[in-house]
Amino acid sequence: MPLGFPYLGTFTHVMESIARGMNRDDLILPNEPTYRTKQLGSRHASEFVCTPFKIILGSLLEVIERGATQVIGTVHVDFCRLGYYAPLWKLILEDLGYTGDIICLNWFDKPDFFRNFKKLTGDLNAIQAFQAFRIGWIKNRYFDLVEKLLYSYGATEISKGSAKAVADKLNRTIVHTMGERNVRKLPRLIKETFKEEVEVDEKADPLKVIIMGELYAVIEPAINLYVMRKLNDLGVVAYTPITFRRWIDLGYRLNFFKRKQHDIAIKKAKPYLGHRLGGKARESIGCTIYYKEKGWDGLIHLYPFTCMPEIISRSILPQVSKDYDMPVLSLVVDEHTGEAGFQTRVEAFVDLLERKRNENDKNKVK
Amino acid sequence: MKKVGIPRALLYYKFSEMWTTFFKELGTEAVVSPKTTKQIKFDSVKNAPDEDCYSTKLYFGHVLALKDQVDYLFIPRFGSDHHTYVGCPKFIGLAEVLRSQIPDLPEIIMPHYNKAKSGHRKIAFFRKAYKVGLKFTKNPIKIIRAIIKAVKAQKNHYKTILIDEETLHKWERSETILNEPPRYVENERQLKIALVGHSYVLNDPYSALGIRTSLQEHGVDFITSEQMPRNLIDKQMDKLDYDLYFLYEREILGAIMHFMESKTVDGIIHLMIFSCGPDSIAGEVAARLSKRDPIVPLLQLVFDELTAEAGMKTRIEAFIDMLRRSEDEQTLLLTTKVHI
Repeated sequence: MPLGFPYLGTFTHVMESIARGMNRDDLILPNEPTYRTKQLGSRHASEFVCTPFKIILGSLLEVIERGATQVIGTVHVDFCRLGYYAPLWKLILEDLGYTGDIICLNWFDKPDFFRNFKKLTGDLNAIQAFQAFRIGWIKNRYFDLVEKLLYSYGATEISKGSAKAVADKLNRTIVHTMGERNVRKLPRLIKETFKEEVEVDEKADPLKVIIMGELYAVIEPAINLYVMRKLNDLGVVAYTPITFRRWIDLGYRLNFFKRKQHDIAIKKAKPYLGHRLGGKARESIGCTIYYKEKGWDGLIHLYPFTCMPEIISRSILPQVSKDYDMPVLSLVVDEHTGEAGFQTRVEAFVDLLERKRNENDKNKVK
Repeated sequence: MKKVGIPRALLYYKFSEMWTTFFKELGTEAVVSPKTTKQIKFDSVKNAPDEDCYSTKLYFGHVLALKDQVDYLFIPRFGSDHHTYVGCPKFIGLAEVLRSQIPDLPEIIMPHYNKAKSGHRKIAFFRKAYKVGLKFTKNPIKIIRAIIKAVKAQKNHYKTILIDEETLHKWERSETILNEPPRYVENERQLKIALVGHSYVLNDPYSALGIRTSLQEHGVDFITSEQMPRNLIDKQMDKLDYDLYFLYEREILGAIMHFMESKTVDGIIHLMIFSCGPDSIAGEVAARLSKRDPIVPLLQLVFDELTAEAGMKTRIEAFIDMLRRSEDEQTLLLTTKVHI
């Protein structure tokens, strides 16, 4: 049974490497979402469900079209709708005449979770499967590292596109690296490759912008219209602390000695938003304060249309921005977001940041 | 005497008894905002964030209507009162959003209660209510008595509003009426409809465009999803492959699924609010299930601030006409007489 999964930014590589580690070579890899994907998803989803649902559904339909008969979804309980995506896909796909398997990994029903997990693992035993999963989460750290370096080298690179080429190459290398010892050597390789192969303008002092917001809107370039690359093209370093790593990287989660950045952010958000309400609402607010203190220049807050938790943080962010003097641009994205309007707003924001920096410099000279 | 303002929107329709009794017992005046009017809607659309759902927007209008009359505003941050299922995240963020969006508000009392995610139990409920009470009186006995009376009032409210299975079956056999008695329409069969939706849509005539009265005018006897017996709903929800975890959405979907299965009503009207998150999920599930078992017709109406009354009325009339004309075996079996 060919295994398929939807496209989720760089997390696609992680899924691929976990599946390959579990001896599943019958993979149908998803394509990057295109206009057709969005159309396909919107046609079959309900009217005002959030945008990630539509696009992931479109991506799933494309994978099934190409022959996948086993697709993965997750079920969990949260304030967000994300937890009920998979059961709804199941209904929709059944109505469309899909006869294959939809494996819903439900963490709250442990026996069911492991039974389903077993279906995905091929012929491995439990320990081997766990090991494969572990290698997967370790690799996720390095995918994140590649992304971080890509969008920091990308801002100052001399020949445009060289960083992107290096990143693509490295991502493939990480996917195909087998064995823990080899995997552990990767970070050095990644750093050295970037240093050697990307030529950067040493004198440049780029602006630094943080990207925050809803998970899918941040990690999926197709929905946020490559906002990180757009910032890079304007000569701005972009970085996002939001990745899938936080959920699947158990090693990081269980490490009590590490102060997790999102815990700090949540603490800082307390005066504005005291309690958990799903999504990244508290983190978006906390990170505005956290990165201001770290000396970043601005923050772009992305969220999909009708996302419940992010609307709350979006409504509070103007006040935080005023209190801490941190420029914040809130952008709502959905399948109809126009490229030109988006570009203009990002450019205007970067202009604003530049002017702000120049003024600050003048004041210092005086 | 201090005045505490309670906006008549969202959770007020669920917990009105508890809140008003509590503040009355504490020796304060509980000021409830007036029923939704055109002015309130106008204010809310102007001041609320664009992407919020219509009901949340109306909340802003009610707060603005109360703002200058009261010393405190009571906006609890309510997560859920079930140990796994959750409410809407907007309920938790609402107080803080209001505080940052409207600068000159009176002090907001915002106790946080969330049984599902924060693990609050009875003691936590008591502690939080006690803290609220301390704002108004130092007398512990008075506060404790107020809490007990408030909880009792809420229980009584549930008792009056929820019906048991026996009453439901009686209604299904047309032996009793649960809501406003329907007008007698000559030469027409009396229809039975299940009206499902959030309690803050069903009970707010303005936001649902007076659907209750218009159904009554058309000679339709209806039951609302709020009244449905809890055990029936839980039984229906167990039939889903995966548990739906939105607390109030379960009530809605459970009611729809029950009537789709029992086929004791002529039709189901589902009131949805535009851009309501949980509604988009439950509405889709209901629509898909209804397509698979299409004997009982399901009408899904989506409301927002731009919905015109005339258009909505036409749709309801058309739906009722369609039900009247239907000559399915199933519908003819439904008894049609109600003696008042």
